[in-house]
Amino acid sequence: MEVFFQALVNGLLRSGLYALTSIGLALSVGVLGIVNFAHGEFLMLGAYLGVFLFLLFGLDPLLSLPLAALVLFLLGMLLYRCTIKYVLDAPEINQMLLTFGISVFLQNLALILWSGDPRAINSTYRSVTLHFAGVNAGMGRFLTFVIAFSLIIALYLVLTRTRAGKAMRAVSQSRDGAGLVGIKVQKVYLYTFGVSAALAGMAGVMLSMVLYAQPAVGLEFTLKAFCIVVMAGLGNIGGVIWASLLLGVTESIVGTFIPQGSGWSDGVFFILILAVLIFRSRGVGQWFAH
Amino acid sequence: MVRSLKTYAVLWLPAGLLALALAPLVADPYQLHILILILMSATMALSWDLLVRTGQLSLAHAGFFGLGAYAAALTYSQLGFNWWLSFLAAALAGGLAALGLGMITLRLHGMYFAIATLAFAEVLRTLTLQINFTGGAVGVTLPAIFGGSRVAAYFLVAVIFLICVLTSVLLQRSRWGLAFQAIRARQSVAEVLGVNTIKTKLAAFVISSIFPSLVGAFYIHYVTYIIPYEAFSLNTSVSALVMAVFGGIYSTAGPVIGAVVLKVLEEYLKSVIVYGYTVIYGLILALVILFMPNGLLGVMRRAAGSGRAKQVFRWAGGRKRAETPD
Repeated sequence: MEVFFQALVNGLLRSGLYALTSIGLALSVGVLGIVNFAHGEFLMLGAYLGVFLFLLFGLDPLLSLPLAALVLFLLGMLLYRCTIKYVLDAPEINQMLLTFGISVFLQNLALILWSGDPRAINSTYRSVTLHFAGVNAGMGRFLTFVIAFSLIIALYLVLTRTRAGKAMRAVSQSRDGAGLVGIKVQKVYLYTFGVSAALAGMAGVMLSMVLYAQPAVGLEFTLKAFCIVVMAGLGNIGGVIWASLLLGVTESIVGTFIPQGSGWSDGVFFILILAVLIFRSRGVGQWFAH
Repeated sequence: MVRSLKTYAVLWLPAGLLALALAPLVADPYQLHILILILMSATMALSWDLLVRTGQLSLAHAGFFGLGAYAAALTYSQLGFNWWLSFLAAALAGGLAALGLGMITLRLHGMYFAIATLAFAEVLRTLTLQINFTGGAVGVTLPAIFGGSRVAAYFLVAVIFLICVLTSVLLQRSRWGLAFQAIRARQSVAEVLGVNTIKTKLAAFVISSIFPSLVGAFYIHYVTYIIPYEAFSLNTSVSALVMAVFGGIYSTAGPVIGAVVLKVLEEYLKSVIVYGYTVIYGLILALVILFMPNGLLGVMRRAAGSGRAKQVFRWAGGRKRAETPD
């Protein structure tokens, strides 16, 4: 039973990063209507940024969080300005091919620049362990969970309480309608893409704090984030949280209780995607049926 | 430049066939090896294009390539199939997998299909690493096909390539080609016009997936050894689709031209950049989508510009204009 609770807690803690990454993806897909295959690469770049800030300046990963957010925010906006903007009216397949190309480019650029070896931030967050009622949790993982969900709550408040957030939601509901009531749609797109990248970048820093940075890690998170967004139904923030918890906990339980489980748990997300596509949960297909 | 449809068929086809047939006589073993690689890539790129014609983006070509390779290798070594039966098994495995995956995903919007295919290819690798009879991370080894005769191997891959070209041309010229085009332009309109859109997309997906499985089967027989990381490498899907997009999608000639150009470039680049040469493919993909979405064929067509040239390009399946967005 103790093993079960430990697995449960591990899964819960893991889901924080999933939720933070997925919510950025959900935001960009929901508002811009573009499937961003390069979303995980923002996370990968954030992870390397965290590693290098730590190695070069000894910067605490928690302090490099806002820095990574800023850098990725600017990078996301730059990418939008230079590429995404020009395919907004192109066929959907061109949009997907473009973001896929960017993803391939960034992933392999990282491979050339920083090699395929995993790099990690070896700070004290790794070594300190918290104990509670017979269950252990790494300090870093616990902080990651708390920060991730704090950021998500903050995002939720921005989306519901501020003018900028309301503009984002308006554009996601109807691009033309939002334009008609005077919202600058292009600007909303620009900032949304930047925020989406910033969220992934922060998740990346925390990833290198508890796990490691590697060129291929972006693709893994892109796939898992897609899984979560598909499970949640697009534009559903509450759904993203539940879906992240489900994925994290299922992976952790599969990894704990099935022999050679850590390998099998990498396949959990695919089973979940297929299951959702088969049963077509609420929201799936509604958002993009023009 | 080709002048008309007639000269195209009468002159270029026999010339191409003759060149394919005579190549082993003039090429040295290394050049022959490169030719084999080019034909494999051209088949991958062209078969990927078959599905794109319905407006669906598949990122699973690597998955079917690996599936075919493993199906051929395991039936050959474990079940004692002879070589052509192992190719048949590969085609069957690829076709059935595509049928299953397509039935689940093709009813939904295109983005779900793209995501599911990418996940499918990645998960196949996880699966192959996990189960025992695939040899796990060590991979599988086979004796070289045809006693290691490179010329015989060349003719085998040339036949697979020609079947793919024939399939593509026939599909383009038949009612199917029109149905593909209608679905791509606007699915709802195609439906109203009486096209069974889901079945058409499913058929395109199955046909498009059989070829990478055959190429995978050929690869394992030719190279004699494969590991999961190579069989299901994302780079396989990337190179196939970039070659097609670079040459010009929705056509027979485009993907083939793209494969020839990029494969030669790749062989050169691999000696310059050892790891991560795929970075070039990512860059090409993004730039082509932004600046020449109709690929090399589109550029050539614009350069040619005349009415007759347009006819030829339409016959070869080239698009007239950029697609109208949905």
